[in-house]
Amino acid sequence: MNLFKGNLLAVIGFIIISIILFVAIFAALLSPYDPNYIDINSILLPPSYDHLMGTDGLGRDVLSRMLYGARISLFVGFVAVGIATLIGIFLGSIAGFYGGWIDSIIMRLVDIMLSIPSFFLILAVIAFLTPSIWNIMIVIGLTSWMGVTRLVRAEFLSLRQRDFVLASIVMGSSNKKVITKHLLPNSLTPIIVSSVLGIASAVLIESGLSFLGLGVQAPTASWGNILTDGKEYIQFAWWLSLFPGLAILVTVLGYNLLGEGLRDVLDPKNK
Amino acid sequence: MLIGISLISFFIMHLAPGDITSSEAAFNPKASEESRQKLRELYNLDKPVITQYGLWLKRMVELDFGNSFASHQRPVLWETKDSKGNVIKGLIQESLPITLLINLIGIFLIFSVSIVLGTISAVKQNSIVDKSITFFIFVAFAIPGFWLALLLMYWTGVVNQWLPISGLHSLDYKSFSEIGQFFDLLKHLILPVSISMLSGLAGISLYVRNGMLDVLHQDFITTARSKGLNEKNVIFTHALKNAILPLITIVGLSIPGLIGGSVIAESIFAIPGMGKLFYDSVLMRDFPVIMGILTIGSVLTLIGTLIADIGYAWADPRIRKGLVK
Repeated sequence: MNLFKGNLLAVIGFIIISIILFVAIFAALLSPYDPNYIDINSILLPPSYDHLMGTDGLGRDVLSRMLYGARISLFVGFVAVGIATLIGIFLGSIAGFYGGWIDSIIMRLVDIMLSIPSFFLILAVIAFLTPSIWNIMIVIGLTSWMGVTRLVRAEFLSLRQRDFVLASIVMGSSNKKVITKHLLPNSLTPIIVSSVLGIASAVLIESGLSFLGLGVQAPTASWGNILTDGKEYIQFAWWLSLFPGLAILVTVLGYNLLGEGLRDVLDPKNK
Repeated sequence: MLIGISLISFFIMHLAPGDITSSEAAFNPKASEESRQKLRELYNLDKPVITQYGLWLKRMVELDFGNSFASHQRPVLWETKDSKGNVIKGLIQESLPITLLINLIGIFLIFSVSIVLGTISAVKQNSIVDKSITFFIFVAFAIPGFWLALLLMYWTGVVNQWLPISGLHSLDYKSFSEIGQFFDLLKHLILPVSISMLSGLAGISLYVRNGMLDVLHQDFITTARSKGLNEKNVIFTHALKNAILPLITIVGLSIPGLIGGSVIAESIFAIPGMGKLFYDSVLMRDFPVIMGILTIGSVLTLIGTLIADIGYAWADPRIRKGLVK
């Protein structure tokens, strides 16, 4: 925690994310009911001691579904950002290290991808594939690597001129060694920051897709599709809409605070 | 750029396992042999891949996206005449102006509000006002637009009945005077516009704030202050001008996000714009419309970026007079 000393926002972000991670990992132990158990005797019950967040239109316990939904949201976020970051590091390293025509081609590709409205792109791909949790992670990953690529390339371009890198090249290190031993470790900070912020936006995209019915498919619980159910019952069952939305808000806020905090803490210029 | 977009959209078309005719049939058991045959003809799926790409490129250049499978097989892009000489309007032709209207109002409001918020926040750095604006920015970044839309719909539309919650016109709008119709439209636009501008507002306010802070610490501001200019003059004529110049580029960059975001806002509020058309087409697997909107959306983004670049060159006297590149 010393790392975040004096950065209150980052600490708040860190605490929020830790709680949500804990909840997601131990969802099976924490949830009072089976998230998919349909109980027609307890349909649309308001929050009470038995059902802390009430029940939905099929009598399922909303708290249990929320806890399992946390798993889905975080899982999608991590995997999607993992894919995007790996692609970004790979393409960005090549572009930044070799330069020349390889660089031009990769940066052109980045420009092209950026000019296609990404939500359209994601929806279009989902239209051609079946919506499923795996496809969503892959699609979000494949449509959000452009930022990391630019970042890594820019870092490499400036690092490549530095003496220690030149020395390593002059001493005959292989390109691979220069990239993995010198350039990458020194560009980690911005990569980490952008990954943390990337998880926030992946969580938002996933919940948006699930809300539209094109994301995680029922009966698997995700915050987005609990909200879709909530939309149907918004006049009689406020708890179905309130809790999942709040959960998304708090999670995304947590990642954004943590990301911005890390940027301040890890940036030596701020010390 | 356009060639790249054509390649990517072509690639997406071929993502589907097998060919898209079989996957369409898998999603939609009712898809008849006839409609699959049409799809095959439209994209020339029986020809070799290179030929297919060439033909797709040709269609894109000619802006010919064929006819929709659903929606009475209306043309995707622009009006055509049927065999009886009746004009049938294109789907995108009808829906694009609505989306453009919402987004243009949105962009205008985003910039007016965020310049004010960002400037106040930077000038009063670390005050209570600054902290609450920054807090608002973080929350606005994190809030899922569709959730806020639901809550607002419930609160303003169902509980209080202040605002209409769906569509663009009231049922009886034709009976209103022209001014009445205008205000009716305006009332219907309040909620969707506010939802679609939310995240842009947060991002750009933050941008203005950081830009202002940078500028305020530069030497020429100290000079302006020390020669005795009043603070108002320093901030509005010296600092703000320099801080908001890069915003012109940001307009260009924010267009794809805004257009993409219209999918959610329009489908929640049942507004017959391009976003809702796209969503409906995805649900019905109406491939010609999907490909058409994907292409048009990208072309719009390119046009937006181009306008932003020209605008920047025009607004910055150093570039306008050719002093720097």
